[in-house]
Amino acid sequence: MNTQEKLILKTMDLHRQITEAKLSRRDLLKMGMLSATTGLLLPISGLSLRSAFAKGGVDSTPVATSSPVSSGGNGGCPVPGKDIISTPTRPWIEELPRLVEKQPVAGNDPNNCDHGNGGGAPGADAVGTLTGGDCKIYCLHEFPELSKATPYANLSHQGWDKGGQLGNFAPKKWYETHVRQFNHVWHRDLPAGTTGQPAWGFDSVVPGPMFRTRYGEPHFNRIHNHLPEQNLGFGINQTSTHMHNLHTPSESDGNPLYPLYSGHYWDHHYPNVYAGVKQFGGIGDPNEALGTLWYHDHKLDFTSQNVYAGLAGMNSIYDAWNAYTGDGRYNGANNNFGKDMGDFGDETKGWRLPCGANYEFDVGLVFHDRQFDPYGVDFFPLTCFDGAIGDKMTVNGKIQPFMPVKQRKYRFRMLNMGPSRTYQWFLNNGLPFVVISNDGNLLPAPVLTKSFKQAVAERFDIIVDFSQYAPGTEIILLNRAEQTNGRGPTGKLLSPGFEVLKFIVTSDAFGVDESRIPAKLRPLPDINQPVSRSRTWKFERSGGEWVVNGQPFNNNVVSAEVPEGTAEHWTIINGGGSWLHPVHIHYEEHRYLSVNRAPPASTEVGRKDVIRLDPNMQTEIYMRFRDYKGIYPMHCHNVVHEDHAMMVMWKIV
Amino acid sequence: MDRRSFLSLGLGLGLVEMVSSPTVQAAQIANSSAISKPRSRASETGFLPNVPLITHNGEQVNFYDDMVQGKTVLLNFFLITCKEGRCPIAMANIRKVQELLGDRVGKDVFFLSITLQPEFDSPKALKAYAEGLDAQPGWTFLTGKPADIETLRRGLGFVDIDPERDRDLSNHIGMARYGNDKLDRWGSVSLRSSSANIASTFKWLSK
Repeated sequence: MNTQEKLILKTMDLHRQITEAKLSRRDLLKMGMLSATTGLLLPISGLSLRSAFAKGGVDSTPVATSSPVSSGGNGGCPVPGKDIISTPTRPWIEELPRLVEKQPVAGNDPNNCDHGNGGGAPGADAVGTLTGGDCKIYCLHEFPELSKATPYANLSHQGWDKGGQLGNFAPKKWYETHVRQFNHVWHRDLPAGTTGQPAWGFDSVVPGPMFRTRYGEPHFNRIHNHLPEQNLGFGINQTSTHMHNLHTPSESDGNPLYPLYSGHYWDHHYPNVYAGVKQFGGIGDPNEALGTLWYHDHKLDFTSQNVYAGLAGMNSIYDAWNAYTGDGRYNGANNNFGKDMGDFGDETKGWRLPCGANYEFDVGLVFHDRQFDPYGVDFFPLTCFDGAIGDKMTVNGKIQPFMPVKQRKYRFRMLNMGPSRTYQWFLNNGLPFVVISNDGNLLPAPVLTKSFKQAVAERFDIIVDFSQYAPGTEIILLNRAEQTNGRGPTGKLLSPGFEVLKFIVTSDAFGVDESRIPAKLRPLPDINQPVSRSRTWKFERSGGEWVVNGQPFNNNVVSAEVPEGTAEHWTIINGGGSWLHPVHIHYEEHRYLSVNRAPPASTEVGRKDVIRLDPNMQTEIYMRFRDYKGIYPMHCHNVVHEDHAMMVMWKIV
Repeated sequence: MDRRSFLSLGLGLGLVEMVSSPTVQAAQIANSSAISKPRSRASETGFLPNVPLITHNGEQVNFYDDMVQGKTVLLNFFLITCKEGRCPIAMANIRKVQELLGDRVGKDVFFLSITLQPEFDSPKALKAYAEGLDAQPGWTFLTGKPADIETLRRGLGFVDIDPERDRDLSNHIGMARYGNDKLDRWGSVSLRSSSANIASTFKWLSK
């Protein structure tokens, strides 16, 4: 049978199926299967409409042939707009969804670890409502196949015990999260319409829910993996959920080497202490506070696929309510943390950052670019080692959404969820952004800038004041960085640029805007602790692999052992080839001592956990390793590079 | 199948279900001998091109149909005369992985090593090379027409974006792809990693 005959057979099959499915002409037009001008079924090349790299359904049986979408010709890297042209979607049709506010599980006794099923049969829960059995200090997770001989079967939660070396940080709030496959609507114009197509999500939403946590309130999250046992398509049904970049003990950090299998759970304990617990006592140094965190899958070799499937969400953390005592000292910490300071999630207290009731004006924005095949089905370029660049910009899971805003100040927590794109943001009316944090950590003072770059995994908090605009005013957030592959932006600024999100000012009531844009924010902690040694890490491509110091990731190798409580100078070098590598170091934040031997930019003077390692860049950073022990990775957060295998494991001993 | 379930599966997936419905399967069997076994989505994209190749035993095979379809595989590129010495390390490492996986190789796991220098690496040369490595059954060395090898290399993504680096064959031998065609699950692993590490990736592929 020749190609022509196959095509005819396919078309006939298609007709039959369409008839059986009782699809109308309008449905077909909507699905892009019918030509609007000729009324004929589009000659679809190949015998299957099935997308090559779609997220598979549980029951779908792989069938069919030929190549409707070819990524093979371009070294596995389809160029959006050229090799891949996503189904057309209209901008500003979908309303920006707010991230779902995560609710804690009620009824658990904070002083009693035995909050699970009370020792009885599963489900006979006398105390709390966690499913899956007791949670004890040493009960971390169920493993189907790992024995006690494996190094991570016996991990215990550091800092949970009463009277332990790191105090009693037993959980005060309990959460339970379910990772599932579900149908998600990226845009109603896609052929799947408002029914959507398979995606993976924490609590069955993309992005996952927004956690609002607080220093001084340790929390616990039992993450259940319910991903399909027989999974098809991109992604693997094993997870490891990393909380980026909380001061989290290694066993709860979401290490790529700790896989959570489908049908099982992992218990994460977050002490929610500032760095410097041992140094300052109490819950550490409030000048080390983080603010905007995110969590995402970190499964070894499969992070890019799993995050792309939807496994990412946000977590805002606020200062402890008793963070100040009036004399500028907190829990023995000798710092200048005064009464008028603090980020409390309450715009009448501390720095009075925009928040409102129920966090209405404290909004998470998750940016994520995607590809869809010509049939509108989710596509991930599995064959591409360079990076995955999409031609559809999504915010909070919708393509080019709009957001109605009230005439007052908003705090936006912007996250670049990746997988590989670097943004350069502008507002279409030319107004500057008020940047208050970088990587979620408040800067010493707000920075006014008309534009800023945001690499994968970087977070920026900005304040936008809509009070000056008349109702009906539209303001568009633009990305003007041209980028056609995983290498990084070309350097060309597009004009006008790609429209990503539209704010529409409304006259809706909001009460009183009590928030402020303070002149000063969180002071920078001292970094005068002498360094005990220096290390150099070079990120580059070599032999078709992504390597650090010439070596691809090897899960049997710990590349650096760092004594707890010490400080070090690390030099991070881009090995060339015009590649951009957003380098993420887990655990404690770093400070730039120099960027290309010059001082860092005003938006980068603070504590960071991602280094936007531009081509040919070299940066010196100051690192501290306080409080907890265990293994942590450092890796490129272009997650495709990470998976292939630009990562090292290091250890606090 | 009703309209709702069609849509709920998403367009592509819906069709797959339909294509696999009894009537369609019957039509397929009647009309085409080519569509006899399930094919993965990866194979539909040019990621696993079905190019004709020759094994070190002189057998003519089609890459996807005969070597990958329905299987769990480890795929890599190499050349017998590798100038930077990485190939011998990579290939010796695969040999160790074969030892670790034991009987599984040739039963539920297959190793495929494809030469980047088909002009020089004839089936006969590959056979001698395989014997030198003490390669056990289940590990196949492949050569073919240069254009087909190039199609395969590009399809599998062993490519450098920089044309000059792309021409240096030693830039395509550090990684291996591993995957389960049945599940359409694909990852990659460094051949400079430990053999135990490489072998452990196969436990992720069973379900």
